Amino acid sequence: MQRISISRCASQLRAPRRPACPCAAANSVRRSTTPHSHRIQARCQSTVAIPDEGGLHLEIAANSGAAATRKSRPSSQPLPLEKLPSPHPSAAERSTKLHALRSRLSLPPRFPLQALARTLVHASADPNPAFNNASLSILGRHLLGYYTSEWLLCNYPRLPMPVVFAAVEAYIGPKALATIASEWGIEAAAEPGGEVDSGLLQFKRIASGDGLPEALRRQAPWKWNVTTTHKIMRTDEFGSTNAPPSPHALQKTPVPMEEAAQSFVRALIGALHVHLGSPLVKRFFRDHFLSRHLDISTLFDFRTPTRDLSRLCAREGFEAPVARLISETGRLSRHPVFVVGVYSGKDKLGEGAGSSLDEARTRAAAAALKAWYLYKPVEVTVPSSMEGELDTSKWRPNFVDCGEVIV
Amino acid sequence: KLLALPEAPSYTSDSSTPTLIFNPPSSAPSVYHTPLKFLPKEDKRRQLYAAAQQHANTAAHRRQMSPIAAPGTPLSSPSFLPPRPTSALPAPISEPYEKTYHLSEEDVAEIRRLRASDPDTWTRVKLAEKFGCSQFFVGMVSKAPEKAAAVSKEHEDARRKWGPRRKIAREDRERRKVLWGRDA
Repeated sequence: MQRISISRCASQLRAPRRPACPCAAANSVRRSTTPHSHRIQARCQSTVAIPDEGGLHLEIAANSGAAATRKSRPSSQPLPLEKLPSPHPSAAERSTKLHALRSRLSLPPRFPLQALARTLVHASADPNPAFNNASLSILGRHLLGYYTSEWLLCNYPRLPMPVVFAAVEAYIGPKALATIASEWGIEAAAEPGGEVDSGLLQFKRIASGDGLPEALRRQAPWKWNVTTTHKIMRTDEFGSTNAPPSPHALQKTPVPMEEAAQSFVRALIGALHVHLGSPLVKRFFRDHFLSRHLDISTLFDFRTPTRDLSRLCAREGFEAPVARLISETGRLSRHPVFVVGVYSGKDKLGEGAGSSLDEARTRAAAAALKAWYLYKPVEVTVPSSMEGELDTSKWRPNFVDCGEVIV
Repeated sequence: KLLALPEAPSYTSDSSTPTLIFNPPSSAPSVYHTPLKFLPKEDKRRQLYAAAQQHANTAAHRRQMSPIAAPGTPLSSPSFLPPRPTSALPAPISEPYEKTYHLSEEDVAEIRRLRASDPDTWTRVKLAEKFGCSQFFVGMVSKAPEKAAAVSKEHEDARRKWGPRRKIAREDRERRKVLWGRDA
């Protein structure tokens, strides 16, 4: 995939930082000392705005309260770091936490630390979209959703949609991403600001005792009459009933740490995709997300498994399922054990044990249905593995199932 | 005279080359192992299953053979009985029956008429016996709302008389039933 160059995306490395960089004022006073970086000096003293950043000027002007003119700072006092909403990108090179994080995640050295620093800044810490992780987190969220759902659908082709949604949420849902962030050793700053270490997760915390903010609480449902088709076509990758707030909308709101950690992980995936390309993102996804163990058989919840199994056998043309008692013990005692198998003709489809005949039969039917739905083909190739490939000989068409049993 | 039994297979092998001894403890089968019937036709594991089943059958036959009738001896050729036909399946919990579709429109109308006329005399049991169908079918085609309401009210009154212990026990039973479809 063609790599998008840094100059097009990482605008914080090109844009002059507003308000003025502390280095510029200091250099204008102490002309005898050489600046530590020529690039920073040039950038801070530049007054030319980038054409598409015209909107930012007005926004910043409105935020600072000035009518039309920008406040001119007295050049004798350098701007204190606390005034900046998030650390300056140049501080990324000096942060040991960022260096350690990059090597802990085994990312190549060509991945810039400034990008890594940007992924740690939540929109509530810094409202400037060029310096927070909101847009990267949108990209990363879609990439994660794509890779996870494609892996699940190709490896378990018969899974019913509610189970697919639950599995996707288990792999890349909000709680899973927050857990992954804490496993990666991400610590959070107590208060966001320009003086904090660039390697800390920065977000505006909810005050102790307060409830969830309005933006996160009141979410309008997409639609009142939800069907599975609507969930697939219109909602997000988890099939959720409520639309989550857009990351850009959380600029002034305090958020829980889970939301900030989730945005960091997604933004990291987005940043990796932009800077390092999709083959590396796929390997990263396989190493950090797919390697997590999930027992999909625990995600099922059958209400009438015997009826479902009977409809399944009728649909597939198998003989009608019959429950047979394989073995039993203690029938007249207080704790009997019955082992029942569900047979279609001579083939055993599932087996279950229970303390009553009904329970054992129900469990056996549920086991048989799980054995049907959890079928996994031997050779699986996912569609994204053929992206940009010239040689398509390794492609094996995926098994497409007709769908779950409708009763 | 001693009965000629074939010797039991030993769990330690005699040969010096490494062998694999697979002796798992008895446990419930895993749901991740798809039964042969559920595999799609294109799956390569069908041939493996068939080959494994054939191997197991021949191994069983080989062990069944007594040393008198071992291959090479004059008694080897068709001297053992064929395997017993499969009544080897375990006994069913409830005997499967053939569904009969013998009731016509007039019979169904008659069922409805009788049920509507006097639900207490013409109960589902009695109607099922009379027409040779199941009680479930009688309940499906004919409805008796007043009878249903009266019966459910009786049940409600009985439930109201329960003490706390019985109530909790019954509620736990309902919760356990939901778990049958969830953990299996």
